[in-house]
Amino acid sequence: MSVPSPAHLRLALGSRVLAAVGGGYALASVFSIWLSYLLPAELPEAVLGATLFSFAVYTAAVIWAFAAASAARAWLGLLLPGAAMGLMAAALQLGGAAA
Amino acid sequence: MKQTLRQSMSWLHTWGGLWFTWILFAIFLTGTLGVFDDPISHWMREQGKIGEIAPSTVDQRSRAVELGQRHLAAVSPRADFWSIGLPGDENPNIRVFWRADEDAPFKQAQLDPLTGAELQPGASRETEGGHHFVHMHFEFHAGMAGIWIVGAATMAMLVALVSGIIVHKKIFADFFTFRPGKGQRSWLDGHNALGVLTLPFLFVISYTGLTIFWATYMPAGVLARYDGSEDAFFARLSEEPAPRPLQHIDALMPELAPLMRRGEAAIGREASFVVVEHAGDRSAAVRVFGRFDPDAENDRLVGRGSGSALYDAITLETLDVQLPNTVRGGSVLQTQRTMNALHFVRFGGYPMKWLYFICGMAASAMLATGAILFMVKRRKKSANEFGAATARVYRGIEVLNVAAIAGLILACAAYFWINRLLPLDVAERGTREILLFFAVWLASLAHAALRPSLAAWREQLAACALLCLGLPLLNLATTGDWLVAALARGDGETAGVELSAIGFGLIFLAMLRQLRRRAPTLTVDRPETAKTAAIDAIGGR
Repeated sequence: MSVPSPAHLRLALGSRVLAAVGGGYALASVFSIWLSYLLPAELPEAVLGATLFSFAVYTAAVIWAFAAASAARAWLGLLLPGAAMGLMAAALQLGGAAA
Repeated sequence: MKQTLRQSMSWLHTWGGLWFTWILFAIFLTGTLGVFDDPISHWMREQGKIGEIAPSTVDQRSRAVELGQRHLAAVSPRADFWSIGLPGDENPNIRVFWRADEDAPFKQAQLDPLTGAELQPGASRETEGGHHFVHMHFEFHAGMAGIWIVGAATMAMLVALVSGIIVHKKIFADFFTFRPGKGQRSWLDGHNALGVLTLPFLFVISYTGLTIFWATYMPAGVLARYDGSEDAFFARLSEEPAPRPLQHIDALMPELAPLMRRGEAAIGREASFVVVEHAGDRSAAVRVFGRFDPDAENDRLVGRGSGSALYDAITLETLDVQLPNTVRGGSVLQTQRTMNALHFVRFGGYPMKWLYFICGMAASAMLATGAILFMVKRRKKSANEFGAATARVYRGIEVLNVAAIAGLILACAAYFWINRLLPLDVAERGTREILLFFAVWLASLAHAALRPSLAAWREQLAACALLCLGLPLLNLATTGDWLVAALARGDGETAGVELSAIGFGLIFLAMLRQLRRRAPTLTVDRPETAKTAAIDAIGGR
């Protein structure tokens, strides 16, 4: 319930906070780019629509960062979907450029 | 962390909540007052006394544009931006705004509508009025830095809402549970009931607050996907002509009055503002804005535009005409605008404004009870979270609770007094009012730091009650106007402000009585006991 005193516990908490604030923001950012490729709307509108959803993703990411069983799992749970969406967005961008 | 989900969410709710609660209380309280920014401005500018301003004729408006243009051409012939505000319902004078270039601050002046002479300070009660609360609400008068602080706190609010819901097993039962006079338990019940009661409002107001600044807070999508120019991206989104780049070639400005007449004819509505972008440059454009129609606002969330016409200032060619009450942009943009309208309560008229006001006050009370609950819990039994520094950190939290809650209420009430007491002829009067507001807030922090907690709460609440209950008398003493006169002439805005002040004053009196009942002896011997007694009283037991 409190700020843990042993050094490694504090480090784990710091890592979670960083995952929540920084990792969550990065995930929400990648999500907004990824979704903008998938929404059935013209380019500017698709970006706006995707961005409107991204705040919910950020909220969920912060909750996840503190709900995960360990700090390492918290990071993993953010990095994996982030990387997957990033790769997909890159592929869609390249595919779109080629077409 | 070997913990259940509810334990980890409880931790997140407690600590995430605590560190953001003071900022959030300020955002919610000032935002709630900002719902009535127009009536507050009306009271502060003594518009009730001025009475109705007769509608203007097209010749009067043309003359006002001429006078405004003459002033602007003299003070800032080459400018990034000129704006001429025509006399209207709220102000009988010509208002001109300008800035020399993009980085320069906005400057403004008020001109006599007949002669064009600049009105000197003291001619009217210059004030930011209710806009002060709106600006506190979204940027703390700190520009971009303030916008980001508010954004971070709003994200924390969303996280606190979700974690708060997970922590509560029995949301529905909690709604009907209130056990008064039971100390810590009562504070928790109050916090829960207020939170559950306003939950849909809290989600809507927090989420729509973030999406107003979507491109600022979450720019990744725009940065990754815009092609060529960002300006072009946003112009395409809103289906409006893109801003024209500065050409750095001097050009003579045309007479603006004939363009105003053309604009009025094109949109079929009286003009309220004539704006020039890039005055004195070959790229100059003139925009004529139609007058806002308050009746159009009640029955719909979007598409209530007042209309505007855009002209090339050099060739006089028509660049764009947007008719009043029309919609531009696709369905996603309309969704975002609908969310904005939900946030700004630009619908439903006064009944909806009052509903938002009540929900906003309940939300503010929910935040305050949460902050107080944190300390009540720990006064009974220290959780010792900060080792040897625990007592000092607790004291710091207590002080911040008093200053952030009672102190901010006090500063808001004081702002109305400052408006009536500050001499009319001081320079930059509107800015000074706001500086004095911050000075009162700072003084409340110093007071909270110097006094024992209970005394600090009691004295600041007493000051709030005094300022609120005395407001109608102050108005009578300084302007000769008062509640009964306002009611007699049907001036609901002036009367509403003063009746609300009396209502809040009575609430603060009731809080004081409650404090007195629970802590009959404040003159306790040892400081340690005094502190405990103080917090117990705040906690009710």
